[in-house]
Amino acid sequence: MEKKLLVEDQIRKNKRDTVLVCTFMAFLFIGIILALGIYLFGGNILVALIFALPISIGYVLMMYSISVKTVLSAARARPANANIREEKLLIHRVEEMSIASGLPMPKVYVQDSEYINAFATGRNPSEGIVCVTTGALYKLNQEELTGVIAHEMSHIKNYDIRVATVTIAVVGAISLISEIVFYSMFWGGASRGGRRDGGGIIVIIAFLFAILAPIFANLTYLAISRKREYLADSTGAYLSRNPEGLAKALEKIKQDAPSTKPKGSKTVAPLYISNPFKSQNISSMWSTHPPIDERIRRLRSM
Amino acid sequence: MVIWILGITLLIIVLFLVFIFFGYYNRIIRLENRIDNSWAQIDVQLKRRADLIPNLMETVKGYMKHERETLESVTRARSALMSAKTPQENIDADNMLTGALKTLFAVAESYPDLKANQNFLNLQDELTNTENKISYSRQHFNDSILAFNNIVETIPGKWFASFMGKKVREMLQIPEASREVPQVKF
Repeated sequence: MEKKLLVEDQIRKNKRDTVLVCTFMAFLFIGIILALGIYLFGGNILVALIFALPISIGYVLMMYSISVKTVLSAARARPANANIREEKLLIHRVEEMSIASGLPMPKVYVQDSEYINAFATGRNPSEGIVCVTTGALYKLNQEELTGVIAHEMSHIKNYDIRVATVTIAVVGAISLISEIVFYSMFWGGASRGGRRDGGGIIVIIAFLFAILAPIFANLTYLAISRKREYLADSTGAYLSRNPEGLAKALEKIKQDAPSTKPKGSKTVAPLYISNPFKSQNISSMWSTHPPIDERIRRLRSM
Repeated sequence: MVIWILGITLLIIVLFLVFIFFGYYNRIIRLENRIDNSWAQIDVQLKRRADLIPNLMETVKGYMKHERETLESVTRARSALMSAKTPQENIDADNMLTGALKTLFAVAESYPDLKANQNFLNLQDELTNTENKISYSRQHFNDSILAFNNIVETIPGKWFASFMGKKVREMLQIPEASREVPQVKF
């Protein structure tokens, strides 16, 4: 009983952390709109808002609507074939985890790759997609595979795909607006030199903010991504009632980590169970995933 | 004026209480439906498992002529499962079947011809799958009961539940042996 409580506490803590980081992102977003207002519209924040909101909302919606297709085609994924035993067993494990989570059965895809990896996508839990590499199918045993599937199902259950897509889109919107501010300085500076005189120090602060905001937005996004990984690990452990399965799978992933860059799009990286592009053990502000050893340690402490 | 204020305040309070009642009523019904639904899940899997057994027997019969006792215990467990009525009876019979199958598959290890049989391999996969599904849906069933009981036993849900005539439901007792993690190794 105590074991279960620990997992539930971890789930709660991870959710709280996400809210905190998302709030920070919202502040950045408000800040960049303020900067835009101060710089481009002479301090008229309302005009800046009217200008920036449709752009941002349109951008977010567009990213959201094309995300699933982009991910699947970037990974070159194909539907699992029940006539191949390994892929049939994969479908079995997904069926089991869909029962354990109480979620509808997601579509099962396979990506041809020698490395152990997996990702989940889909806009909401009722149209979830789980994709596993052939490397994972042949190198992991069924207990480990169950752990990996439980992790991916947790991403679906926790609406992480939505969290990821929306935050990526917001980061994009922030970068876009900051670029508008940035370039308007050059054009404004060249043709209507008098424009900058009005605000003095505030204008400079706004300009600096416009330069720094995209960097902070990216860092915030990465922090969210790492939190969601921990959350999916703990939810997955709760679903499968077996943290050890995922821990062992992560150990194999660590040993299996590619030395050279695998093919595939880098935009998909945050969705995988472990980052296919970066080396595994460096804890960095710039990684989409927490260090694998720390994830194993947390799983084993449950 | 005073009467108006009093009246409106009273109306707001009544509306507020009505909404709370609706909320709890729907929640209790929803949680109860979840329990029934998750039992239906288990039931489907139990049936599927019972249906797979005759096939397995047919495949195994030719190879395991000298394992009469093992085969009989599987058949016995299956008929216990078929005649079970209450959820607990169902689960007990299913545990019996799990034990009998475990023995059968262990014995099968010493029959290389059988192990190479494609049909046998397939049935083994299917049976493992249903067994895991049963244990996960059992887990989900107990989770659903826990959520329901938490509402029915705590205040103010307790008052609404007794008004609706809803009582605490009993969780499935899972024997010590099968409480461990579902076996998915091969």
